[in-house]
Amino acid sequence: MRVLITGMGGELGTRVAQILEASAEVGDIAGCDFVPPRRRLRRAEFRRIDPRHREKLRDFVLEFAPTHVAHFGVYEPASRLTPAQAAQRTELTSMVALSAAARAGALEYVVVRSGLEIYGRRSNTASVPDESVPPAPRTPYGTSLLKVEAAVAGIARRHEIPVGAMRYAPVVGSHVPSPIGRLLRLPVVPVPAFADPPFSLVHPEDACAAMVESLFAKVSGPVNVVGEGAASPWQAVRLGGRLPFAMLPPMWSVASQAVEFMGAAIAPHVIELLRHGRTASGAHARTVLPKLSLRSTQTVLQELYEWAEVVPMSTVRREVA
Amino acid sequence: MIAVELHSRTTFGVDPDRVNMPQSLVTAVRRRVAGRYPLDAFGLDAQLSDLMAPLLRGVIKVSVAGDEHIPSRGPAVLVMNRGFGVFEPAALTVAVMNACGRRARVVGAPGVWGVGAALRRIGAIAASVADVTSALNEGHLVVVPLAPTWLSATAGSPPLELLQACMGVPVHPVSVRAAGPLNTALNGWRIAVGPAIEADPAIAPGDPLGAAELTESIRNAVDNLL
Repeated sequence: MRVLITGMGGELGTRVAQILEASAEVGDIAGCDFVPPRRRLRRAEFRRIDPRHREKLRDFVLEFAPTHVAHFGVYEPASRLTPAQAAQRTELTSMVALSAAARAGALEYVVVRSGLEIYGRRSNTASVPDESVPPAPRTPYGTSLLKVEAAVAGIARRHEIPVGAMRYAPVVGSHVPSPIGRLLRLPVVPVPAFADPPFSLVHPEDACAAMVESLFAKVSGPVNVVGEGAASPWQAVRLGGRLPFAMLPPMWSVASQAVEFMGAAIAPHVIELLRHGRTASGAHARTVLPKLSLRSTQTVLQELYEWAEVVPMSTVRREVA
Repeated sequence: MIAVELHSRTTFGVDPDRVNMPQSLVTAVRRRVAGRYPLDAFGLDAQLSDLMAPLLRGVIKVSVAGDEHIPSRGPAVLVMNRGFGVFEPAALTVAVMNACGRRARVVGAPGVWGVGAALRRIGAIAASVADVTSALNEGHLVVVPLAPTWLSATAGSPPLELLQACMGVPVHPVSVRAAGPLNTALNGWRIAVGPAIEADPAIAPGDPLGAAELTESIRNAVDNLL
């Protein structure tokens, strides 16, 4: 089993590499990203490649000739990149790395990172969608995810191999750069004035476990990876002891700029989550990934808030003195 | 494919599938201020719903025949008649609570702003195939009302698409009738629950023709109970 991890520099990519390193069933592991891995890797090979250097990325993947691909090169807007940069890098990584992996000739399985944003706005026709609900994204990130799933479905058709898509609820954790996590940790949090829709989250460790399990089980098709239960914006703000700031619909564009100034940019898919909610049915995951045990949304939130505040070094030095 | 086993879980000590003893008002208010209360993906606020349960039981009086047919665990569907459509689901919700302590997830939360969200908080779900499928996959007891029949005491038209999504789980017919004079609810409600309707095992889940046959059997069964 030769595993290629695209987006290995991200929190999830690095953690998946660590889990795979510990498995005797996995032979060579290689990964690439435009940022270095977040943790020390013992036997995985990492190559720092900006996806805009297509030839470099293609040659690296062709040379490695993976049998399995865990595609984490799907970048969430306002996480580490601007929306435009995220869309561009996602598209390039997906097209170049996946097509090169397929052309190398040894490919047996591909699993990609996707998200519930692909279902679009939570509506009365599908407020808790399962995998059979047709995607109808309404945000740039949702559209980006749909393109990745479409690309990988094309590879599945042409090369007759199974491909999976992990449709994650927003991945929120203390160390994961996540726009919704960052927003909820602000002292004052914008929330919709006349709505309080439910949304679900998933813990980063669970997201990684789902990816690894799908690599071993070669799960085919989309799978919703969603933590148990849900939370709502007003509830989440109270749970974190933050101050809610009620917003009317026209105020969101102004709020996104104000909040960006405070250090937590809001992308359109985050506004969609706060205004319309985002949940899905995780029943299929329990069937196809039976070893997976997901933390509840409330647990994920509590862990987010239990993470210590950032204390400036000058304050620490003063206290020690 | 519908999961047969109930996927049971609790958050903050509250089981979203079962009606729990309501917390004291002080505890409930304190927990709400601190945001420590459970919500499910459909929007059910179990703590709020538990607080309202004694009130509902006090206001809506029901007498139930055949309550042993209501499944105490796992996914199941109760198909009921309704006149005007508002009070019958509430009466059946109380009956289910009394019979087995489960929460009935009534199908039909409207998309109307405010009203839909409020009904979802107390356990309603949208009348969509996706939501009914998801609720059954999560192991809930789903109540599907037939079309309203206004003043006529017969079973209304069954929602074919929704019942197609219910194939593969036990489906029980239920009749709900006002017990008072002149068909009023002054003396409460009389509810009769029938045994699960046996579907032809040769019919595959989702088969439209099979679903049509099933819906007709359900409508007849509800009519017979009425």
